[in-house]
Amino acid sequence: MSATAQQKMKKSGLDHLLTAMILLAVLMTFLLILVPLLSGIALSFLKIDSFALDGLPSFAGLGNFESLFSTGAFNNALKNGIIFSAASVVIQLVLATLVALILNQTFPGRAFVRTALIFPMLIPPVVVSLLFRWMNNQSFGIFPKWLQSFGMEPIAWNTPELAMTQVVLLGVWMWTPFMTVSILAELQSIPSSLYEAARVDGAGPFSQFFHVTLPHLLSVMSIIVLLRMIWTFNNFELIWLTTGGGPLNSTETLPVLSYRQSFTLYELGTGAATATVSFGILLAVVLIATRFLPVNKD
Amino acid sequence: MKQALKAIQKISFWVVVLALLAYSIFPIYWMVVTSFRSTATITSDSGLWPQDPTFENFLGLNRLFNYSEQYMNSLIVATSVTVITMLICTLVAYAIARRNFKGRKTLTIALLFSYMFPPLLTLIPLYVYMVKAGLGDTLIALIIVELTVTMPLGIWMLWGFFKSMPFQLEEAAMIDGCSRLGAFVRIMLPLAKPGMITVAIFSFLISWNGYLAPTVMIESDSNKTLQMGLTAVSANMTSQWGLLMAACTMIVAPLVVGFLLLNRYFIQGLAGAGVKG
Repeated sequence: MSATAQQKMKKSGLDHLLTAMILLAVLMTFLLILVPLLSGIALSFLKIDSFALDGLPSFAGLGNFESLFSTGAFNNALKNGIIFSAASVVIQLVLATLVALILNQTFPGRAFVRTALIFPMLIPPVVVSLLFRWMNNQSFGIFPKWLQSFGMEPIAWNTPELAMTQVVLLGVWMWTPFMTVSILAELQSIPSSLYEAARVDGAGPFSQFFHVTLPHLLSVMSIIVLLRMIWTFNNFELIWLTTGGGPLNSTETLPVLSYRQSFTLYELGTGAATATVSFGILLAVVLIATRFLPVNKD
Repeated sequence: MKQALKAIQKISFWVVVLALLAYSIFPIYWMVVTSFRSTATITSDSGLWPQDPTFENFLGLNRLFNYSEQYMNSLIVATSVTVITMLICTLVAYAIARRNFKGRKTLTIALLFSYMFPPLLTLIPLYVYMVKAGLGDTLIALIIVELTVTMPLGIWMLWGFFKSMPFQLEEAAMIDGCSRLGAFVRIMLPLAKPGMITVAIFSFLISWNGYLAPTVMIESDSNKTLQMGLTAVSANMTSQWGLLMAACTMIVAPLVVGFLLLNRYFIQGLAGAGVKG
């Protein structure tokens, strides 16, 4: 670094601003991340039965955790959460890779197609659940009408057998575009010289995909899959708004259970215990996964 | 023979593209079309174009619920969250990328970890603190809570952006007579523009589309956001599909318009941001 540049760095007002920003970041991390996190965990050891926030709550010890594991609700929610996040993320990955490969070609109207395929990402879960309830409406919805015109019965989505399939499919519809865009961005970073070299070696389209494209995508894909599975595992809104966790708890995941305990049963301690345990599970998964996945650390 | 094969390839390519377009766009199109159908035809008409297009559903929204007020609330919350996130995250991310300090690694890991929090784990304590601070049932409390989600994400993404830009860029600008601040404003900010726009899109989406945070933080009808209000009325109004779809269309409209204006930065922004870890 030249002397003038160094001098300017020392004197600059920006420098003080940057110091202030780092302090701000530390303070924010402390107030907005660490304190609420520790409070949430602490809450799971307290006995609180209402939102009337007066007086001191009593210490419950491990009581909340005991009542959590005393019924089958926790195990059921954990199982549902794993099915929900694994199924929707795997389908998204396959679909997103296909779409990204298509969008990476040059064809007339590509910009329009690309924008159009991203649109579902913008639609809020409140709208998605209402819209598909309307489209599937047994009497007037468009999907039953189509099925009827083929002589088929309308599909009863709100049954214990199909409710999970329904939320998985809605999740795939809403969340695939994000994955498509992430994979597309990575595809565009593959140098075209690699493909030329492969073609010179006589590789066809399939061979090019498996020997050039896929190895290049693997690192990004594994990160995206991990992050999206965690995110989906924690997702509350889509399931709550579509099925409310039912019927017969067939779509109740841990966030939904935690919400029900806190806001329907007013057992805030138990709700916090559910959230704490699911945080512990995710933490363990991440620590194990980062050891084995081809993640480039830096 | 070879030509026939090429033609088949081309046709099947376009069949797949059209199928994907229909899959992505048709539900959204159906929402918009339904919102223009009249009460008289809504149950019978299932054509691609409404028999007698009407604005009655849009004009009736205020009779359905506190629509205008709640629309304003959503706008206030989403705009504030987006502006604050953009301003603070850009500066903080730049500071973290350019300054070596103790605990830098811990700080960035803490930001990433917040992505793993089950939503209610931090939401309930935040609610309690807001009530104790006298901010219970206010839009300010909701804005702060949304910021706890958008800021770590924004800092993380923009940090990835600034990290990948060599310091030589600023150095060169400074040798050419720019001040440090000038180098930041004239060189770094324009380069970071796609990343900043991507962060803005995500912040707006998260705070405009959010349902759980407002449900926990807000009680009074006049402070509800659009998502809350719509969910509340949709529970008892399941037959008024024209009105409900009009409300949905109005929720989605600003997102589509904004996205159409900004989407050229979006893929670029995601590519440069911290998706790669």
